[in-house]
Amino acid sequence: MKSLKRFLSRVSHFVTRRRDDERLKEEIEQHIALQTAENLRGGLSPVEARRQAMLKFGGVEAMKQDYRAERGLLFIENLLGDLRNAGRTISRMPGLAAVIIVSLAIGIGVNTTIFSWIQMILFQPLPAVTGASNFLLVEPRSDTAGYPGASWLEYRDLQTHVPALRDIVASQMVPFNVGQPGQTERTHGQLVSGNFFSALGLKPAIGRFIRPEEAERSGTEPVIVISYDYWQTRFRGAPEAVGQKLRVNDRDLIVVGVAPKDFQGTMLPLKFELWVPATMTPALLGGTRDLEDRTSRGFSLIGMLRPGASRQEAQAECSTAMARLARDYPDASAGFGGEILAFWEAPRGPQRLLISGLAILQGVMLLLLLAVCGNTANLMLARGSTRQREMAVRVALGAGRWRIVSLVLSENMLLALLGAGLGAAFAVWGTTALRIAPMIGAFPILFPTKVDQFTLAFAIVLGAACGLIFSAAPAVHLARLDPQDRLRSSSNTPPRSRARKVLMGVEVGLAMVVLIAAALFLQSFRSARQTDPRFRPEGVLLAAYDLSGRNPDDASEREFAARLLERLRSLPDVEAAAIATNVPVDLHGIPRRPFTVEGRVRTEPGQDRAISNTVTPGYFKVMAIPLLEGNDFADMRDKAAPAQAIVNEEFVRRYLNGADAIGRRLQTRTQTFAIIGVARNSAYDALGEPPQPAVYFSYRDRPADQGEIHLRTRSGNETALTSEARTVLRDVDPMLPLYDVRTFSQHIERNLYLRRIPARMFAVLGPLLLGLAAIGIYAVVSYAVARRTREIGVRLAFGATSGRVVLQIIRENLAAIAWGTAIGWVLALAISFHVMTKGPVNLPVFLGVPAILLSVATLACWIPARRASRIDPVAALRHE
Amino acid sequence: MKQKTDVLQGTLALMVLKTLDVLGPLHGYGIARRIEQISGDLLAVNQGTLYPVLLKLEQEGAIESEWGASENNRRARFYRLTREGRKQLQAETKDWEQTAAIIRRFFDAKAEDLS
Repeated sequence: MKSLKRFLSRVSHFVTRRRDDERLKEEIEQHIALQTAENLRGGLSPVEARRQAMLKFGGVEAMKQDYRAERGLLFIENLLGDLRNAGRTISRMPGLAAVIIVSLAIGIGVNTTIFSWIQMILFQPLPAVTGASNFLLVEPRSDTAGYPGASWLEYRDLQTHVPALRDIVASQMVPFNVGQPGQTERTHGQLVSGNFFSALGLKPAIGRFIRPEEAERSGTEPVIVISYDYWQTRFRGAPEAVGQKLRVNDRDLIVVGVAPKDFQGTMLPLKFELWVPATMTPALLGGTRDLEDRTSRGFSLIGMLRPGASRQEAQAECSTAMARLARDYPDASAGFGGEILAFWEAPRGPQRLLISGLAILQGVMLLLLLAVCGNTANLMLARGSTRQREMAVRVALGAGRWRIVSLVLSENMLLALLGAGLGAAFAVWGTTALRIAPMIGAFPILFPTKVDQFTLAFAIVLGAACGLIFSAAPAVHLARLDPQDRLRSSSNTPPRSRARKVLMGVEVGLAMVVLIAAALFLQSFRSARQTDPRFRPEGVLLAAYDLSGRNPDDASEREFAARLLERLRSLPDVEAAAIATNVPVDLHGIPRRPFTVEGRVRTEPGQDRAISNTVTPGYFKVMAIPLLEGNDFADMRDKAAPAQAIVNEEFVRRYLNGADAIGRRLQTRTQTFAIIGVARNSAYDALGEPPQPAVYFSYRDRPADQGEIHLRTRSGNETALTSEARTVLRDVDPMLPLYDVRTFSQHIERNLYLRRIPARMFAVLGPLLLGLAAIGIYAVVSYAVARRTREIGVRLAFGATSGRVVLQIIRENLAAIAWGTAIGWVLALAISFHVMTKGPVNLPVFLGVPAILLSVATLACWIPARRASRIDPVAALRHE
Repeated sequence: MKQKTDVLQGTLALMVLKTLDVLGPLHGYGIARRIEQISGDLLAVNQGTLYPVLLKLEQEGAIESEWGASENNRRARFYRLTREGRKQLQAETKDWEQTAAIIRRFFDAKAEDLS
């Protein structure tokens, strides 16, 4: 209590310290005046009286020191003093400080940006929801089907049987066709349980949310909640939006409320605009039996952990509940268990992939930052040595070792924190720039990353850590000084510090690793782009349609596709048109199906699987994939021909040993097909992949409710076809929107997107790091040279040529650089063996990068060396 | 060295408290005079050391100070014992007496008393 009071009083005195000094001065004067008066009364002369009084009072300055130590916060006063001093020192070296601050800012900024992503995925998986990291996924899982999601009835059961989770909510992602006939637009929404918004703890921006009773009975409550962005763009943010009707899948739904800003659904990074009670499913999706059918598993479940409950408890309860369901409903749930997962472990989203990718990236970027620290340490060490005299004077005047260390530390910390501040600003800019991500596939996505207090704290901690790291060497160096020694000798006896050279070597090694990684990434990316896909994407337009809302049967799907193709082929600019269920080089890949084929006996257990795509006649013409044998599929309306399949070369080679394929029978789980043709191999999953066996089925035999329209133009200008294609679809079905319209080239570009991010990042970072290494080398060498001015002068005076001097300086420094390069090279080689298992070592990269690095390093040595060799020997000897 | 000043400060604080208790509000010089009179030459050399002690006591709340007029009609800072200071004085007086008694007993003790 007493100490607290003292502390508070000290703080207040700290603030009012100037006034307190005045007070003390006045008291002392008064004291001495009174004593002098007393002495005068005692008979002393005025001068002597005052002298005696002052003697009696004692040392005023020492007392003042005591008084101040007693009064204020000495520690903070010292710190402020140090900071003032640091500010002065830094402002005296603006160029150097700028280089240090900017390079730190880049390192910290990049790291902070990546951290904000990781942070978002780990802790903020539900934007606008507080305590999002307490929500867990409930995922039914079977050995054969993976994680197919939960059925509605299963959800109802789990809701009551996993008490460790409060209020489990269900949601299913659905593409809706929104708008009046002829102007429909594909918009993504979620079918949700009645407790969806309340369990997430959300408050509507305006209006209200779906009430629990509105998701009880099937199809009775036509209500809808829209997203904030949708409200802003479609209703211009008007409050009258609530109560208006929205035509969704040809049904009127009443807008009852608007979700809060930033809320984008429960499947980060997908961005949903509409939320409809799950009980509307039959009404909106053409009378599906999703709500009664236990095998129809489309719902994702999440629940918040009840306070005090653990994930293990939830897991145990979930397992028990699923085991009971498997017993009660063997048809639908046999073999199913349940798993409780965190958001980042989501089995049906990109989170898992993203987290591992980001973790690697973060590691690389921390290495980069370490290189920046090494650089800064080098610069500071170089500068620190020129300040040895200053420090020696300070020590001689009585500064303790710790005061010296804290002086150096405060300078570096100031630099580091300035760097961190600028870095945080970079990160703010970077995260907003990255928010503008394109749609991946047909889904609108948004990564709501932002720089919040955690991210800022991360930046500051990173800055402080950097400051400590690059302070350590100079501080230790300076604090160990013997003042006598320093003051006596002049500054031209350089302490041959190994530390500087070691740091330089380490930095070059790090630059080596990142540069090689950058080069490898870029090369693999470029070679992927230049690889011939073995089909012709130029001049092809892609567009998708989706009949799933109608719940159509096979016949109507087939008829729809046939009519659509007829109309499309009649367009003047269309050379060929086809529909397929899958597009090659897609981010999600192409499904593989198990099959058996006549003439193939499998020796090992398991099943053969091949890439499968279901296409209409004309597909091979659109794609420019030649049929090497046999013919195209029978016409869509042909009812006589048996079920047909076309296989590719690799299929024939691998499963039929190159024997004649035509006429053989191929069997899938449900149907038997006759092979009627062999197509040339082409790329399926990625450009540049090794050949994969593939089977094409006919759309006539296996119609689907979704289709990707492929159109090849005559003119070569495929984008011009977009509006005509839209008109055609509108004529065929006014309620159906055409979506995800893109050229095939755009489709490929988009799917290279994920590969492009790291490639671009490395392309920027590689040169950056090279630059940093060059700055570091330059700093060290020019410093060392400046310190040896006299020595060089002596050499030149004794007849050494400037060429020899230059050579010697370069040789001395290149030794350390070469060591760093060699170690970095070996490290990069090891990493490339570990990460890129396939293919031989990329020789051009592994030889070219060291060559570039060493030439840049030599140049960085040469510039200061040459400057030194040009000095006038006489001037050099007079130096100091 | 440090030990000694600490002890001095501690005793000085107690002397200040006692002085203010007996004489009522006083300025620094008055306190110094009084302590000097009683303690002989303990403070004869360094009267200045009194001021940090006064500050410490004030921070602890044992004394308060305010400006007033001194006997020579100049502004002077007068220190006054607070209720808390009085309590502190009592407690510390007791402590001191106990300590002093113990020490005295030790000094008085003869070899045969301890065997």
